Amino acid sequence: MSERINFRLNGRDVSVEIDRAKMLLEILREDLEMTGTKCGCDNGVCGSCVVVVDGRAVKSCLHPSKKLEGAEVLTIEGLSLNSIHPIQKALVDAGAVQCGYCTPGIVMELHALFASNPGADDAEIMKALDRHLCRCTGYETIIEGAKAARMQLSMAGKH
Amino acid sequence: MDFTYVGKDFQRPDALEKAQGKSIYIDDIRLPGMLHAEILRPEYAHAKIISIDTRAAEACEGVVAVVTGANCPYSYGDNIRDLIPMAVTKVRYIGEPVAAVIAESRYQAVEAMKKIIVKYKPLPVYVDALEAMKPGATLIQEQNGEIWHLPHIHPVPGTNIAGHYVLRKGDFEKALAEADYVVEGEFDYPFGSSAAIETHGAIVWFQNDGKIDCWSSSICPFIIREDLANTYGVPISDVRVRIPEIGGCFGYKSDITIEQTVAWIASHARGRPVKWIASRKADLESTLIGHGIRTRMKIAARRDGIFLGLQTRSYLSTGAYADTGINISHGATHNSTGPYVFDNCDLQGYSVYTNTPPVGAYRGYGHQEALFATERIVDMLARKMGIDPFVLREKNYMRPGSINALGEKMYMANGSVMDCARKVREAIFRGGKPTEDERYFYGRGFAAVMKSPKGAPNQTKGCYLKLNKDGSATVTIGGAEVGQGLRTVVQQICGEALKIPPHKVRVNFEIDTLYSPYEWQTIGSMFTTMGGRAILRAADRVIAILKKNASYALRCDEDFLEYDGQWLYVKSDPDCRVAVRDVAQGYMLEDGRTVGELAQATSDARLPRYSGFDQNGQGGAGVSYTFGAQGCELRIEKSTGKVTIDHFASSFDVGKVISPRQIRGQVAGGVLMAIGATLYEKLEIGADGKIANPHFGKYHLPTASEAPGRQTIEFVENPDVVGPFGSRGIGEHPVLGVAPAILNAIHDAIGIEFTDIPVTPARILDALKNREMRK
Repeated sequence: MSERINFRLNGRDVSVEIDRAKMLLEILREDLEMTGTKCGCDNGVCGSCVVVVDGRAVKSCLHPSKKLEGAEVLTIEGLSLNSIHPIQKALVDAGAVQCGYCTPGIVMELHALFASNPGADDAEIMKALDRHLCRCTGYETIIEGAKAARMQLSMAGKH
Repeated sequence: MDFTYVGKDFQRPDALEKAQGKSIYIDDIRLPGMLHAEILRPEYAHAKIISIDTRAAEACEGVVAVVTGANCPYSYGDNIRDLIPMAVTKVRYIGEPVAAVIAESRYQAVEAMKKIIVKYKPLPVYVDALEAMKPGATLIQEQNGEIWHLPHIHPVPGTNIAGHYVLRKGDFEKALAEADYVVEGEFDYPFGSSAAIETHGAIVWFQNDGKIDCWSSSICPFIIREDLANTYGVPISDVRVRIPEIGGCFGYKSDITIEQTVAWIASHARGRPVKWIASRKADLESTLIGHGIRTRMKIAARRDGIFLGLQTRSYLSTGAYADTGINISHGATHNSTGPYVFDNCDLQGYSVYTNTPPVGAYRGYGHQEALFATERIVDMLARKMGIDPFVLREKNYMRPGSINALGEKMYMANGSVMDCARKVREAIFRGGKPTEDERYFYGRGFAAVMKSPKGAPNQTKGCYLKLNKDGSATVTIGGAEVGQGLRTVVQQICGEALKIPPHKVRVNFEIDTLYSPYEWQTIGSMFTTMGGRAILRAADRVIAILKKNASYALRCDEDFLEYDGQWLYVKSDPDCRVAVRDVAQGYMLEDGRTVGELAQATSDARLPRYSGFDQNGQGGAGVSYTFGAQGCELRIEKSTGKVTIDHFASSFDVGKVISPRQIRGQVAGGVLMAIGATLYEKLEIGADGKIANPHFGKYHLPTASEAPGRQTIEFVENPDVVGPFGSRGIGEHPVLGVAPAILNAIHDAIGIEFTDIPVTPARILDALKNREMRK
């Protein structure tokens, strides 16, 4: 009962043959060997696996393959190929990266947030970050980094 | 002393790779021909295994082997050799490995595992030390007392007591008789999990030539290496352990946790690598858990506030295997004095086998559980005596010249708890607190803390250092980066010592026992102290080699030479000089002949005068202390019972701050982690030993909006004499005083004396309701 799924991944068409229903996280990590997206809890709580699907931040461990056909998926690899994204730079500069395991998911969450809502206010940033667990930082530097990213992105947008 | 690089902020060398998703963690490793294992756990927390039928599983698609523990002859453990890779005749806790499937894919392994049929005969289950240690209780480890253990461990044969530690100083009974005030209480710090966002995982590969390769998410590759060599009877050099990036540790990735189990499984598929990655459920149920310490404490004081004596009974529900918990119990016992002087101590700690996952290191290693009792009881005593709790504490703080419970003398180089306490008092208690309003109660609380490293007398950290001819340096260490920022610290310390900018110091990321210097384990907040000291020693040796090489060039004795990072020059005539690039690899004479040595060095360091215990349970088992204080302002919502931490303050005497931003990150993160334990987190282990909440849906870690509204984090810098540039460790300390500070603040807010955690909104509402009824 194998099935072929076609979708766009980081701006390129991909076609994956899967032999059973799978979640997007497994397709990314196991079928496509793209390991930048992390698995922390596998039940949609920790946010380490967040990627952007059709412009929305999605927990890929709960995103079924059947919803993937024709979708536009952006992962951390798509942001990191040849350049440093301002969100990544802002988190690094704020000291928001410790063990780094939760970081790719947070980067993608913020990417979806600022792409759809460049002027997201502090409460909206907190709401987005509340979908993620970080055990290292106490979030102080992540919040600081997110706000710095918002400012840098809006400045870049004006130019 | 002025520093060029120490005390300033530098970007972490690993931050960008991590933020780009390019760092390799254990589950990101793919090897040719790699197989996947899944491990079956029992239905009972304590039961005899009657039979295991693996036939249906073996017939499943993709299955390479099905493994049980039936013929497994191995046991291991550095303190008590009671650990086994897989259950043999019985299961002792709900997460214990019973059988495993090795398959071509993880999915196939999971599917086949469901086909294994195990028959059990249930046995009585004990989940609390106090029940398990009762006379007549069924033995969880039948051979208790006969199992090999280190000499300082005292099991009680015929009982479930794996270790009984007794520390006597002075005469507590006499102190009790002379006391004007006595307060006693029982305090419970229940089971929790370090719960790093990355779970445990390991890959083991039995090579066809007999060598064993292992990758693990562990902070003790060298212990794994020696342990596997010992178990499988191969030379230590034939075991190679590599550690990729680690997605958080907080204690539970120390000691051997899963590696022996994965090795036993992989030994049934020789020639191919076998990977096992813990699901979150397996991580919470089958790797090391934390805490599980109940403390009964009695404090005796004179009318003028001087503490006369302390009695502690610390009961650790250590789990089904005690190797990883036993030293935590020792730490919780001798550190239960907190930062206070007691001339008379009667301190006893019991590690008791229970049908729960083994307890292991959790950030703080026994300190936070003990200090929870100490810092609550001191507040209770102050109220009973009608003394300001700050004044009461100040009368009793350890200071230079004080003798602690272990009999160790304190020096100024141990730092000052008083200075830290004053900073926190200033931050939290300077103004008045808000008065109760329609919506909220308000409270403020305080706790003072002390931390000893809790390592081992022979713990050592090594360093390999190469100075390259362009003046850059390459440092290889065995210390594990778990997020704490150790690599930045290495760059700064090495840069300071070699007088080169930190970005010119390259530090290894992966640890590989084939190439990295030996390190016992990266634990006890001791990397900066000991690893840093090893780096300084190596740098001294490298500079000595440069001088020796320069002496050929400058035709001058070495001790007349000076080094400034770029040049070696004659002290009395700085113009007479030779560049580092010309002496980093020996010195080439005019005719091309080369003399001298490569500018490279190996070194190591350990804590001086660390010892075991004497017959009174005393000795140099603490050695290097750090003091601190914490406090908070909180409010409690009347309608919901919800606690909001508005402001949390921490101050530690760290001797010297190496990386200001990183150290703040350590403290801010540690404080929130302990807020989790205080308000939300508890592994709900039922009377049957089953865990009701083995996932993040019900085991709630604090989120961004639950972090304190504000954190004040300040440091005191009374220099240490052991650590590099006067520094002390900080990794575990931020969690130590959080629970008592919050519970003291809750008492301040609503007058209710909680003695166990987590204090959930439901418990607060219940307590408020009971208080109303009593009125």
